[in-house]
Order: sequence, then structure tokens, then C-alpha cells
Amino acid sequence: MIKKQLLFILAVTTFGYVNTAHSQSPISGFMQGKGKGNVSLSFSSEKYDEVYFIPEKVQGVPVFNETKITSTSIYATYGISNQVDVVLVLPYVTAKGNATPEVLMNLDLQNERKGFQDASVFIKYSPFYFDFGSSSLRLIGALGLKTPLGNYKVEEGFQSIIAIGNRSTTVSTTGMAMYKTNSGIFASAQLAGNYASNNVPNSYATELKIGFAAKSFYGDAFIANQKSTGGVDIFGPGFTGFFPITKVNYTKIGLNLYTPIYKELGVSVGASTLVAGRNIGNSTGYYGGLVYKF
Amino acid sequence: MKNITIKNAFFAAALMLTIVSCDSEYKDETPSIAGIAVANPNFSTLEGAAVQGGVVGVLSNSNPNDPSGHYTVFAPTNDAFARLGLINTGTLGGLQNGFLTNTLLYHVSNGDLLASQISNGGTSKSALGPNRRFISRGNDLYINGSKIILTNVNASNGTVHAIDKVMIATGVDIVQSAILLQTAKVFKAPELTFLVAAVVKSGLAPVLADPNANFTIYAPTDAAFKLAGFKTVQDVSNAPAEVLAQVLLNHAIAGGKFTSEQTSTTVVTAGGGSLTYSPFLNGTFTIKSGGITKPANMVIPDIQCSNGIVHVIDQVLIP
Repeated sequence: MIKKQLLFILAVTTFGYVNTAHSQSPISGFMQGKGKGNVSLSFSSEKYDEVYFIPEKVQGVPVFNETKITSTSIYATYGISNQVDVVLVLPYVTAKGNATPEVLMNLDLQNERKGFQDASVFIKYSPFYFDFGSSSLRLIGALGLKTPLGNYKVEEGFQSIIAIGNRSTTVSTTGMAMYKTNSGIFASAQLAGNYASNNVPNSYATELKIGFAAKSFYGDAFIANQKSTGGVDIFGPGFTGFFPITKVNYTKIGLNLYTPIYKELGVSVGASTLVAGRNIGNSTGYYGGLVYKF
Repeated sequence: MKNITIKNAFFAAALMLTIVSCDSEYKDETPSIAGIAVANPNFSTLEGAAVQGGVVGVLSNSNPNDPSGHYTVFAPTNDAFARLGLINTGTLGGLQNGFLTNTLLYHVSNGDLLASQISNGGTSKSALGPNRRFISRGNDLYINGSKIILTNVNASNGTVHAIDKVMIATGVDIVQSAILLQTAKVFKAPELTFLVAAVVKSGLAPVLADPNANFTIYAPTDAAFKLAGFKTVQDVSNAPAEVLAQVLLNHAIAGGKFTSEQTSTTVVTAGGGSLTYSPFLNGTFTIKSGGITKPANMVIPDIQCSNGIVHVIDQVLIP
């Protein structure tokens, strides 16, 4: 029997503007168990020089040519009870563009923004667990709140391409099903709704994950999708040069690996890349992290 | 029991895969004019100009000033900008933003103007105000001095035609236009400062400012005056008025003509002298007067003023 405390995989959360939403959901299908949890420190980097506009992928990020986003994130999860986990995510984000000095001067823009972004807190609740003997099915609901922690300002005009965040407070609700077998193979599916406080469009996100979880190894592959329910297209009707109000849709694939290295300490690595999108940079990102389990 | 579970899991996975479908439903959507400029690498300088000139939002949206909601844009290619030394978006910093915005608006008009609606001798009012005129030359069609090299690109908010030269209109008379350059309202660095001094000293300003006049003017740059022996603007002001007038009148021809409209190879100037033009090639020609050994080249051709057309040149046309 694979024990539920085995696992976890960290989530990399960055939020850039022509760019990304959560690289993957911070909500996994595993519960920590009462009094147990883990903390991780991870470093991620993603880059793009192509953007999915309407109707095609275009070479070159407007003004900035290319965008690179690195983030250092603290991710922690703790089991309040066997059925309730708390998840915390705090990213420090550096967004860099590659505009020439002349263009930056002409347009009064800057190539870099960095700072603490938006902290997220999630409460995960798993009311239903069905043990079928050789396999099990778990249903999870999660409620999350993401809100600006630092005092970064909302960027205006094209500077909003290179920005830490949009100072939106977002409430998210997630429903999830996790099926796993005693051999360690698992599949999870989730659907999340994200409701933003300001003029950032609401969105819903899905993630389908399959993987293998054993005591000394964890691996998964996922496909994630986000669709905004409102917002404007970049260079479309309603667009004024302010990027946070744009509709952001994407389909992303990725993988995550984790292995313990010494006692309670483990390392995780992963990669993800966009395969389709709308108003989003065609980014590919990598991360690596140290995980402490307790 | 196990079978049911697997079936349920399979069903859930299939449902999720349906939701997690690739977002490709927009492939058939038509981009806006701004979107076309951004997507086409031949319009990257135009894209930068639209950002710097603050018209990206305008060209992303429908036109509130036309019932169709559409614009027509004559879009200069990167090569068109490069003719003016604007070789990339960084070099646009040499221009004043107000001038850049006005220049972009001169390329825009209300409604769809399709190639089939354009004919020799026709005109089209720009969003800036001044009319542009259409000229047929050989097999080519020009708007002012700019050749239309690609027509009828359909955008969600209008129509795009590509042109090979940037069009410039000042909206004011020839003297006021020169003063715009002299006072750095066009380029951030002053230009035509020697010429303005010469016009003032010569007493020709009232003639060149006459709203009822219509001239073609060849306007030598500051470097051209230096090449002709004037070290400073003061040297120009110190020169005898009648000498300056004689030289300046060799730069003026009755009737304002864009490069595309110039078909003869010699012209008589307002001073009674003559100029010789090289054959029209790639949208330009050189100008030779009796007092210079090598012909002058055009630096900025086809500037439309309210009472004529000005071509900025790199030499003083000594009679």
C-alpha cells in the first residue's frame, strides 16, 4: 500500500503578463495526514520570445523582444487533520525584458521588475475516500486566496508586460478527483474557478495528471488548461495597451520528478511548456527545489 | 466492483481530456490592424512607431468616427522607415512623439478604401486632416510619393496597404514647416536652421508663406549649407540678402510636385535658372544645378505642406 504521506510535489507559481498563470496547480491529489507536511524552496526559470496572439504565434515580444521570469518560491503544506490540509505559496519574482537601451529611453520603460508577488493560501478538504482494495479514489475540494504581499505597483501601458503582478486578489475554488492503485500508479483531475477582485478576467483551469508514486521515487506528467471567461484580446477590441485585463488561455504540458536524498530531505525537478495559447508567451520553464518533509 | 471503478476513472479522464482540449478555435479569426503590424516582421519599425506614437489602442479597436468602424492604413515597411535613417525602433527616439503621432495619423483614413477604389488623380482625407493624392505612374500606383506595394490586407477593423516610403505632412505652409524643423518640433535635434536664416534674411518668407502659392521646394540641410561654405547660421545671416535670394530661388519651382509626379528631366526655377533631374528610380531622383559638380540627393522627400511640397536635400543648389 502506498502511504499517503509519501508525496508531494511542489508547485511553481509565477504570474507574468503576456505570460503565465500558475505553472501548475498548487493543489495535489495527496493529503498530508494529521500533523504531517512539508516545506520546499524552489527556483524556477521560464523564458519566451514568441507570443500567441490572434490568430497566430508571433516572433518577438512587443517592445521587450523576449521575457524571462525567474522566481524563488516557498511552498508549505501541513495536515491539520487527516482530511484537511493547508497550503501556502509565496513567490519572489524577477521579470526581465530585453528591450534595447534606446527603446527603453524612448518609451520610458524598464527591463526589470522584481519583488514579492502574491501570497496564496489554500484549504484542502478531502471528505470522501473510497478504498477499493487494490485501488482508491479520493475526492478533494479546495478554497484558495491569492493576494499581493509586497507593495509592488500596478504597471501601466507596455511596462505591464514586465511586471510582478497586477494587485488582484483572487479567490479560487478547486474540485478534484484522485485515483490511485496500490502499485503506485495514479491519475488525478481537477477543475478550478478563479475569481479576481479587480478588472483581471475570471478564469477556470483544469489539470489532468498521471504519475507513479513510490517511497523512493515520484514522477508525473500533466496537461493543464486555462481559459479566461472575459477580458480582451491583445490588439483586439477593447485593448488599450494594458496587458493585465487581457483574456489568457493556454494549454500546457509538463512533468515533475521527486526523490528523497537524505532522511527527510528530497529534491524535485520539473519542466513545462506551452503547446497552445491565446494572449500568452510561448514559454518553456524549468524548476528545481529542495523539499523537507515532516 | 473493480471494473466499475476503472470505468468511472476512465470516464472521468475522458471528461477531463475534453475540457483540457487545445485552444485552437481562434485560428480563423482576423487580426486587427495593430495585430497585422505586430505579426509581420516587415512592419516591426511601424509597430515600434505605433507604440511610441500612442496609436496601438486606436488601431486595435474599431473606428468610432466611421459608421463601418473601419480604418484604412497605408503602412510603411521597415525599408520605408530606413530611407529616413530610422533603421529600427530605437532610432525613432530621434523624433518628437507629437510629430510621430501626427505622421502615423497621416497614414490613416476612415472607412475601407480598397485598391479598386483608388485611381489616378483621386484624393483621400487623412485622419490627420490633410488630403493624400493618388498618382499612377507606369504600372504603379502611388499615394503622394509613396508606392503602394501590397494592397487589400484585410483586418478586423479595416484594410491595410503597404507602402515603400513614409508619408509626411506638416499641415502648415512651407516657412512654418521649416520652422518646425528649426525649432526641433520634428527631430529632437534642430534641422534646417541655416535655411530658415537664409529665408528670413533674403526677404522671401512672405512669398513662401503665401497660402495661395504652390511650390516645389528643395530644402538643403544644415550639413548642405556647411558643405557650401557657411560655417555657422550667423554666416548665413551675414550674407547679402540679394545673394541669398538668388540662391534660394534656385530651389523653388512653380507647382508642388511629389517625386512620383515629376516626369521631366529639366525644370526652370523661380530664379530663372535650370535644374537637371536624374531618371526616377526607386522613388527618388537626384538634382543637379549649374554651380555644383555632383548632383544633390534627397534626404527626406515628399513633405506635404499647405502650399507646396518640400524635398530635403543634401546640397545647396548653387545656380
